[in-house]
Amino acid sequence: MGRENTVEEALNLLRSRLCNPSFVFKPLSDSPDSNYSKLKFIISSSVTEACNNSILLLGPRGSGKIAVLELVLKDLLVEFPDLISVIKLSGLLHSDDNCAFKEISRQLCAEHQLLFSKMASFDDNSQFMIAMLRECGLAHKTIIFVLDEFDLFAQGKQRVLYSLLDAMQSVTSQAVVIGVSCRLDADQLLEKRVRSRFSHRKLLFLPPSKEDLQRLLEHILSLPVDSTISHDYAVEFNAKLQNMLADEKFKQIIITYMDSDATVNHLLRFLFRAVSYMELGSGFLSLENFKTALSNIQRQPKLECIKDCSILELHILVCMKRLEVKEQNSYNFNSVMKEYKSIRASFQISEYYAWSICLRAFEHLLQRELICFTDNRGQNQSVEFRPVKLLISSHELQQGLKSYRSCPAILFKLMDREV
Amino acid sequence: MPAIMAVKPDSARSNPDSTPQKRRLRSDTTAAPDSPISTPVKWKSPRTCTTSSPKTPISRVERDCSENITKSHKSPIKKLSDSLTPTKQKWNPLDSEQMKAVKEAMHVSTAPPNIVCREGEQKRVLEFCQACVEQEKAGSLYVCGCPGTGKSLSMEKVKQLLFHWANEAGHQQPNVLTINCTSLAKTSDIFSKILGESQPRKKVNGATSPLQHLQNLYSQKPQPSGMKMMLIIADELDYLITKDRAVLHDLFMLTTLPFSRCILIGIANAIDLADRFLPKLQSLNCKPMVVTFRAYSKDQILKILYERLMELPYTVFQPQALELCARKVAAASGDMRKALCVCRSAIEMVEAELRESSSNFSSSIVEKAFLEQQRATAPVFLEKQEIDVVRLDHMVVALSKTYKSPIVDTIQSLPQHQQILLCSAVKLFRGGKKDTNVGELNKFYMEICKSALIPPVGILELSSICRVLSDQGLLKLGQSREDKSKRVTLCVDEADITFALQGIRFFRNCLQ
Repeated sequence: MGRENTVEEALNLLRSRLCNPSFVFKPLSDSPDSNYSKLKFIISSSVTEACNNSILLLGPRGSGKIAVLELVLKDLLVEFPDLISVIKLSGLLHSDDNCAFKEISRQLCAEHQLLFSKMASFDDNSQFMIAMLRECGLAHKTIIFVLDEFDLFAQGKQRVLYSLLDAMQSVTSQAVVIGVSCRLDADQLLEKRVRSRFSHRKLLFLPPSKEDLQRLLEHILSLPVDSTISHDYAVEFNAKLQNMLADEKFKQIIITYMDSDATVNHLLRFLFRAVSYMELGSGFLSLENFKTALSNIQRQPKLECIKDCSILELHILVCMKRLEVKEQNSYNFNSVMKEYKSIRASFQISEYYAWSICLRAFEHLLQRELICFTDNRGQNQSVEFRPVKLLISSHELQQGLKSYRSCPAILFKLMDREV
Repeated sequence: MPAIMAVKPDSARSNPDSTPQKRRLRSDTTAAPDSPISTPVKWKSPRTCTTSSPKTPISRVERDCSENITKSHKSPIKKLSDSLTPTKQKWNPLDSEQMKAVKEAMHVSTAPPNIVCREGEQKRVLEFCQACVEQEKAGSLYVCGCPGTGKSLSMEKVKQLLFHWANEAGHQQPNVLTINCTSLAKTSDIFSKILGESQPRKKVNGATSPLQHLQNLYSQKPQPSGMKMMLIIADELDYLITKDRAVLHDLFMLTTLPFSRCILIGIANAIDLADRFLPKLQSLNCKPMVVTFRAYSKDQILKILYERLMELPYTVFQPQALELCARKVAAASGDMRKALCVCRSAIEMVEAELRESSSNFSSSIVEKAFLEQQRATAPVFLEKQEIDVVRLDHMVVALSKTYKSPIVDTIQSLPQHQQILLCSAVKLFRGGKKDTNVGELNKFYMEICKSALIPPVGILELSSICRVLSDQGLLKLGQSREDKSKRVTLCVDEADITFALQGIRFFRNCLQ
């Protein structure tokens, strides 16, 4: 009983870690070369020297841009408690300049405990923002603007960006503008006058290297030795984990998984699944967990559909494929049946299925969405006459046939033949 | 590729002291003040510049850089550095006060006390305003140029000079309204602002719009007490362009009314704004005068940088480093903000190097001290390498960070399947096709995977890879109900992809 509780506790701990981005990105931020330290240096030097600055964080989705930024801001708020205020805008919500200025004013009011009026006009809001920038400049307080989805701000007339960056050109204001975007050419999207005011600083968030990946896995999956979880269990767990991490097969699984998408977020989703497959009986992570997780994530639904088909349905699919190869633009159930009959004749297949059974198989395929009607108009026509098309490619069909439990060889022959 | 702007010849280039009226071919205005008629100077194309080119050695003199150094044949840089060396001490980058002072001097928002390299343009604008104020006539002027060429800065200076002159010459000081057109909620608000400035105490009658009010005001004979002239500086004028171009037109028409009192200076980036959007003014023969602010040349940038550094009592930059920076920026865009940014970036390189060396130094000195203790010999004083100037290598790194695109780096760090997909897109589009759909791309992708004996990913995974690449701006995905028929276009140059992937033999062979 006690053992199970411990295991469950460990499982909960691991799962909560995987959902907490600030925990995950801690080890990646320790080296002085990392994006965390670069960003921290830039912002802290702007704060201490009271000068304006702007920077872009670029990288694919899920590579940890906002997570690292949050870490940096948290640390800076601890280091300089009264010198920083943070305003957050999102390109999805605030790309229109009215909304943007309203939101800036609202956040400034909330931060400095002023009353915000929803009736304020666009002019009032922009005047307020400029006045606040000046006041904060006099009080040596830096305002950090975080613009999420920066490329969406660059649509239209870019007034928000221009006003923010123009305000930073004057000596009286102290502001740092941090743009976060997944588009690499985000600064090419800016108008030339906005780009001229925006400094060229960019921080690229690249996928982690192999060593970083190894460190990350160790950091996330190792249980803490001196916490509420029992000491012996944690030590044993960590030892088994180390063995597994050094195993070549495990490395191969990770590499195969990360070959399609190398961002940290993608990896976290995989780890979450693998950890959830951990057996509560043994209480340790094993290679099998990761293999199961991999096969579950890399599912191909259409192939699984084909595995569930009957032989007749496979025949119908292969006939449709042949009709496509013969470059018949549209075909319906009747033409498929004709093709099937000709195949039976030429290859002397013994099985005979009645018309109604074939129609039933055809309808099954329609329901499973392996084939579909090409037009939506002929609702009144019966199923036999409406034109249909395949929803799976020939490659998928071939793979499905290969993995079918007892596929008749005739189907392979039919697929390979041109006519 | 950023091309150097081919603009109308700036008259100040060859002869800074006169304003050759004859050469104003395009936009000339009779409302312009009668400036002294000068001898027409031979028109020199801006491209065939005999006095300076990007490859000019420093020793050549650049005439339009400064009026002071026209007589000497010594290069301005050499002369400045001569004047610098006797009084300058060494810069100590570890001193935070000094570092702060340097960074402030190099910041874009610090306005330098005297603005160099724009004297000619300022003079023309000032003379125009002076003539308007003297004759109490209205006029309009259009200032254009690339971003970062000192337009707004120069207009501020002209404003101060005008006040100064008006005081001395005994004229009434004009009212000034400086407005940035991006801050207007509606384009027609500019008229209410002008009205507010010219008649601050009168309440506006609700029946007439501000524009009509102004038009009435300027069409009637003014009272004997006379109204003051009003100087309107409208920055970022192209924000006033609406579909029917009414606001811009009305604004400039205000200066043509018989009793108008405004001097309008519009600032924008487009050279031909006046021609394109104000054609009707041509027929009335009152087109605004155009002053073009050309992009800075290498020597101008160098001069401005030295001007900023002159206030500091120590040398911060190696002269070669500054020259490299000026060359690069002048060749790229001639934008002064960029040059200042690059210089600040180079200073940060020095800071980073200091931090690194100090951490190495402190760790190595601890090691050494420990070893010394062990050996019990006299302690050796470690020579720390002095970094007291921003060197050429710092500048090189700063420039490469500014002008490098992140695309090559990103492509090199993409996971394998994404790189294969980009490769297959390149091969597909080589045949001359401009766009394709995901299904076609899938076929090519699977062929390449087969040739490399890599198991391909399924169509679902492939469409999510396409989406990830389109999020990053490498591909462009169209809209469609079905995944397979979404249109795909390549947004990155083929050469970039080939260059990025050349390190991997498989891709090299594939893309041949």
